[in-house]
Amino acid sequence: MNMIDMKWNVSHSVVAFITFFLLFMSGSALAQNSGTAVLKGTVTDSSDGFPLIGVSVIVEGKKYGVITDLDGNYELRFPKQTATIVFSYVGYDDVEKEYNLKNEASFSKIVMYMNATELEDVIVTGVYERKKESFTGASATFKTDQLKAVGTNNVLQSLKTLDPSFKMMESAQFGSNPNMMPDVEIRGKTSVMGLKEEYGTDPNQPLFILDGFETTIETIMNLNMNRVASVTILKDAASTAIYGSKASNGVVVIETKAPARGRLQLSYKGDYGLSMADLTDYNLMNAREKLQFETLAGVYTDRSGSPFTQIQLDALRNERLKEIERGVDTYWLSEPIRSGVTHKHNIYAEGGEDKIRYGIGLSYGNVAGVMKGSDRQTLEGNVDLIYRTGKFQFSNKLTIDYLETANPTVSFSEYAYANPYYRKYNALGKVDKYLYYSEDGIGSTVTNPLWDAHLNNWDKASGFGFTNNFIFEWFVTEDLRMRAKFGLSKSDDDEQTRLSPLHSSFDEVGETEKGLYSRTQIQQLVYEGDVSVTFGKLIAQKHMLNAVGGFNFSNNSQHVYGYSANGFTDDQFDAPSFANGYPVDGKPDYRETLKRAVSFYVNGGYVYDDRYLMDFNYRLDGASMFGTGNRFRNTWSVGLGWNVHKEHFLKDNDFFSFFKIRGSVGNPGNQNFSAYQAFSTYKFNGWMTNIFGTGVILNALGNAELAWQETVNYDIGADLTFWGERVNLTLDYFWKDTDPLLAIITTRGSMGVTSVAMNAGRQHTKGWEATFKISPIYRPAERINWNISINAAHSRSRYADIGNAFSALNESGKSSLVGTTRYYDGGSPTAIWAVRSAGIDPATGQEVFIKKDGSYSLTYDVSDEVVVGDTQPSVEGIFGSTLYFKGLSVGCYFRYRVGGQVFNTSLFQKVENIGTEDVYNNQDKRALYDRWSPDNREAYFKGISMVQKTEKSSRFVMDENTLTGESVNIGYEFPDRMIRRLRISALNLQLTMTDMFRASTVRVERGIDYPFARSVTMSLGITF
Amino acid sequence: MREMKIMRRNILYVLAASVCLILTTGCSEWLDVKPYDKIAEDDLLSTEEGYMKLLNGIYIELNRDMLYGGALSVEMVEIMGGAYVIGSDNAVWGNYRDLSEYKYGSDYWRARLNETWNKAYSLILNCNLLLENIEGSRHLFTEDNFNVIKGEALALRAMLHFDMLRLFGPVFSRNSSQQSIPYYKAYSMEPQPIRPAVEIAELIWHDLMEARILLSQDPVRTDGMMMDDVGSGTSVFMKYRSLRLNYYAVTALLARSALYFGNKESALRYALEVIEAAKNGVISFVDKSLVTGSPDDPDRIFSSEVIFALSHSQRNSLFKDYYDPSRIPNFVFRMDNEMMSNMIYGGGMTTGGSLDDYRYRVNWVATGANRYFYKYSDMVDTGNIRNTMIPMIRLGEMYLIAAEAKSEDISAGLSYVNTLRSYRGVNPLSALTRENLQYEYIRELYGEGQIFFMYKRMFSPILRSSQAGGPVEPEDKVFVIPLPDSEIEN
Repeated sequence: MNMIDMKWNVSHSVVAFITFFLLFMSGSALAQNSGTAVLKGTVTDSSDGFPLIGVSVIVEGKKYGVITDLDGNYELRFPKQTATIVFSYVGYDDVEKEYNLKNEASFSKIVMYMNATELEDVIVTGVYERKKESFTGASATFKTDQLKAVGTNNVLQSLKTLDPSFKMMESAQFGSNPNMMPDVEIRGKTSVMGLKEEYGTDPNQPLFILDGFETTIETIMNLNMNRVASVTILKDAASTAIYGSKASNGVVVIETKAPARGRLQLSYKGDYGLSMADLTDYNLMNAREKLQFETLAGVYTDRSGSPFTQIQLDALRNERLKEIERGVDTYWLSEPIRSGVTHKHNIYAEGGEDKIRYGIGLSYGNVAGVMKGSDRQTLEGNVDLIYRTGKFQFSNKLTIDYLETANPTVSFSEYAYANPYYRKYNALGKVDKYLYYSEDGIGSTVTNPLWDAHLNNWDKASGFGFTNNFIFEWFVTEDLRMRAKFGLSKSDDDEQTRLSPLHSSFDEVGETEKGLYSRTQIQQLVYEGDVSVTFGKLIAQKHMLNAVGGFNFSNNSQHVYGYSANGFTDDQFDAPSFANGYPVDGKPDYRETLKRAVSFYVNGGYVYDDRYLMDFNYRLDGASMFGTGNRFRNTWSVGLGWNVHKEHFLKDNDFFSFFKIRGSVGNPGNQNFSAYQAFSTYKFNGWMTNIFGTGVILNALGNAELAWQETVNYDIGADLTFWGERVNLTLDYFWKDTDPLLAIITTRGSMGVTSVAMNAGRQHTKGWEATFKISPIYRPAERINWNISINAAHSRSRYADIGNAFSALNESGKSSLVGTTRYYDGGSPTAIWAVRSAGIDPATGQEVFIKKDGSYSLTYDVSDEVVVGDTQPSVEGIFGSTLYFKGLSVGCYFRYRVGGQVFNTSLFQKVENIGTEDVYNNQDKRALYDRWSPDNREAYFKGISMVQKTEKSSRFVMDENTLTGESVNIGYEFPDRMIRRLRISALNLQLTMTDMFRASTVRVERGIDYPFARSVTMSLGITF
Repeated sequence: MREMKIMRRNILYVLAASVCLILTTGCSEWLDVKPYDKIAEDDLLSTEEGYMKLLNGIYIELNRDMLYGGALSVEMVEIMGGAYVIGSDNAVWGNYRDLSEYKYGSDYWRARLNETWNKAYSLILNCNLLLENIEGSRHLFTEDNFNVIKGEALALRAMLHFDMLRLFGPVFSRNSSQQSIPYYKAYSMEPQPIRPAVEIAELIWHDLMEARILLSQDPVRTDGMMMDDVGSGTSVFMKYRSLRLNYYAVTALLARSALYFGNKESALRYALEVIEAAKNGVISFVDKSLVTGSPDDPDRIFSSEVIFALSHSQRNSLFKDYYDPSRIPNFVFRMDNEMMSNMIYGGGMTTGGSLDDYRYRVNWVATGANRYFYKYSDMVDTGNIRNTMIPMIRLGEMYLIAAEAKSEDISAGLSYVNTLRSYRGVNPLSALTRENLQYEYIRELYGEGQIFFMYKRMFSPILRSSQAGGPVEPEDKVFVIPLPDSEIEN
């Protein structure tokens, strides 16, 4: 491996650095003398015969070297002597040729071959690229094939299977709703949880960079995976600090494909999928069980002692019993679900010669969720252009996208609540509004979920987006490059919901106020500009210097407009013009935010003799969200690395092909916070004016002294490849300190505001990650390879110095029905707090609690709460295996999760705590069978009762160990000889199954409002 | 060739450096973004009008239910002062019954008191934000407006703290060194400590004194309250002085607070200053014709005597929500018949009660067997500013303060009470006792939220009808409300 190619590894430098390096530059100018050898020629690419620009041509062991020009020509002069001439270029295999004083002619045409594996060893940070071997940061890069092999849904879904540090939070509430943006995090949380609503943005969300520009998670979710070239996850300070105060949650860098040179090439990629709801976690009663449960719970026993009521209740029970005898046992869960058919297509045409390259693409995706009426359609057109002339290159990526989504208007839980002893349809086969209509206070009125579902209700949204990213590059000299970028994106989203006037929620509403239409429009404009200078040079064969310096600014403005109208009279005719008026006290909604940021950044890398590595970053950030007292903030990081395999003592060893030890420290920050938290704002007290006119009072108290949340991040890691490249191992240990935390704190009443954005306390996180891959069979020449991989991650966080700042959250958590999160010093953000339980007293059926001092008590006291578990598992990761045999590949990946706990809300709410209203909903089977009674004294749950309130205790906290079949895939790449006649240059097929099964030690209902899905996808790729 | 290269690099360097320089200096300005859907502080407080709007906003907010538009004028504190008959039907009176038994710990009253506390302090914060910003903005103001706005904001801050101290603080005459409430004398992100009542008293005094100095050029001293719309289209900011904390209102607050803090000498001095101003015509006693002449259109609040009042655009709701006899079967506030006929408006020379009293004639109207309180009922002339006024401090109270403060011996104040009585169409008292002074307070300030504080100041039994079990014996648990949850828990 030669080091000169590093020069072209895009790395960037501070302006100030330029003059500094001028000295080096002039010193390295070629000395001329009489006995000069002159080698001339052209370097071309083996694949398309195009000239390669910027190939370094050097005399090995000497300081003489040149670089090919724009036509791939070079002219190398050096004192005449025999020498080895090395041609190197990033992404290509080195070419070494002996010069024997007379074979000048053989140097006229040099052909270089692309090295596929080497490209993967480049870390793309979005600001600069660096070879993995000379980079000290902790990062992981995945190519499109790897991403698509494990899943075809979206980039993020695949990343969670590939990297242990990337987590996508499973939402028990929203399941696999395709329109719900997931919560994602890298290496755990850095901000106080539960404040997402207050901030408006998820303060734990990583930064997403698409083709060098900041973007939103939604854009990434919508991005057609077939357009992606690579994804890089930046984890530690050394790799993320270039993004300064936005980087403490990690960075995900996504590069889309750039058009390839050559004749016009057309490719088509398609995914055709089927997804089915996974209802295995539901454990609901059947008709007979439910009636029995209701009877035991006393639904049919009159408590007022009126014999007349008792007769009516008996009659009701008998009627239901008769229905059951007639065979009524309705399975409601099947009603709202369907097999979702998903198809995605991508057509891309690319080509061009050396000066102009172009790519035009069209993508369409239609994701049909597993619930009826749940759809997500995306249409995306893109034009990529690259124009290169002289020392300048202009490239532009234009994307226009259109999105349409629809959501079901009746939540899945409504169906889960419906009792199985009701019929779905009446005798005429129609849907009745009520399954049961209560008269004379007998029972409780129950609405048929099918009624609301069959009405003309909708919840839909559409969005139009335009993104144009322009990059101008000036190759000033062979070592120095200047780049200016400007990105603009505009999006308009329009959300509309409509509830029919016949909807059951309007039963109690006056005739002229039934029905509701609401509309929200969101307009967003983002622009970002960046100017940077990049420098890279190898000095005296041993000192590799890379530097980048630049300036960046961004502006993000958003306007939200909304209104509602009501008073519809008809179900079918639903235009807003049929509304009768606006809701009482309704007023137009308007919200505006404007966020701006500027920054200056410098990154430098130094490598000595390929062995010792050093990186540093510095960034000065200013953001409008922070007060004048704290507007600017410094971010720094230092990384050190040691390429052990380059040491002399390992130089001749065949065992280690790669062995790097690295470490880094830095303090990236977080600015995922609301736009105006630092400023006091006022509003009109519109409810009254007086003779003096209008008045204004404080709306929100800003905190101008608010300090940026920053996370000091430490990482120590090692990357190893050994046993003839058969074993890959990456290990990382990290710890980080977020200090100060930024949070919305509940204040004393006398402060004049109930809450204020403040800095409070710290959060400390420690963890490790490991990725291990072994290839028991490894015959790359025959294209036979068998990989087994396993990765694992562990992390633990705790709060410090938060004192009483979160007492209000703690109090509301204590008094809430299911809240088990508390904020105390030393406590973990993911800890489960509850009073310990010694179980149910077999004699009395009462729950026995364990007090703080260890004594037993029958009375629940919230102050006895202790940590009874942690939802964060001890270890979580993926293991899997892939077999490549010629063109065939078979892979499977399983997620395991060991050593965490969960507060089982199904048991808590659907087995116990079934109140007087809930008793009319269908419940978990265990509510009937596992309950204490004089005949079942060893039961885990209290006796059946409607009135008894169960408190949060450790009885509902369970060890959760799970195994999920996350991905199975079979792929086949058709060999050349088979497809050549069809004029196809590449053809591949793949079958992917995701989330096939899930085995857990805890049985808890998942997918409350929307079920989870399993899916099978067939993918096809053709290139003509 | 090489030189050119170097030169080109130099140019590049200079160019880049200058770009950087321009960008750096421009950055700070560029980062100063202002919200559009809310009013940014810098925008609001960049003009004189902005300060006027903020000041007016604070006055308007004082009309909220949890402050003087309900709880602290006609409702909560008056119940605590035993002013109303509490009915026996728990469904209607439940929470009021709890309060009449001083059960401050009930969920309902804890929440209500918390609400009052939070609102009062949020307005104190508004005052402090105004005061913090106004200091460096003197150049924005014309005429005497800087002094007036600053003075009024200080006085508002003092008044709100004073009322919180009277509610939540100790009985001052007995435990002035006891911990009471926090005092926010500046905008602060740090919670202020709870201090002894005597220290709060000093801070209130200090603020009021400073306000009085700032308001010393107040036109009220020469032109009176100017309650008639000039209608010429000019700014009314310096008109309608009784709707704002004018010079005399601050002086009257000094008298009221001095008496509460046991400084009778100052109380007398400031009360007399207001009385003197009244004698000079700045404040005038109600015109007899307005209260007796036309019964359809009486000036029930004796508006010309009001030194400071809030202006509530829907003031009639105070009558409709609390006193209107047509509210039955819902709760209606009224005075106990026995108390009315034996002490307040009856009882002869010992009590000073008389049915000839203007205050009785205009404000107590019979429906069935009971008389109902019409002080907040609208006049027929509805457009009149008088119909919006909620009196906060009035001339009559100055006479009563003077009487109480004249000497340690209460009887020495007789002449002040008798002067006041002469303007109420009733005969003079022959002797002044604590009891008949209290009756006079009740007659004068009924429904204005002062009676409870009178009892608390005097640490005397709270008068109630014998049906309700007779007077409430003075005790700390009656007079001292525990600090709200939001104050202790966070």
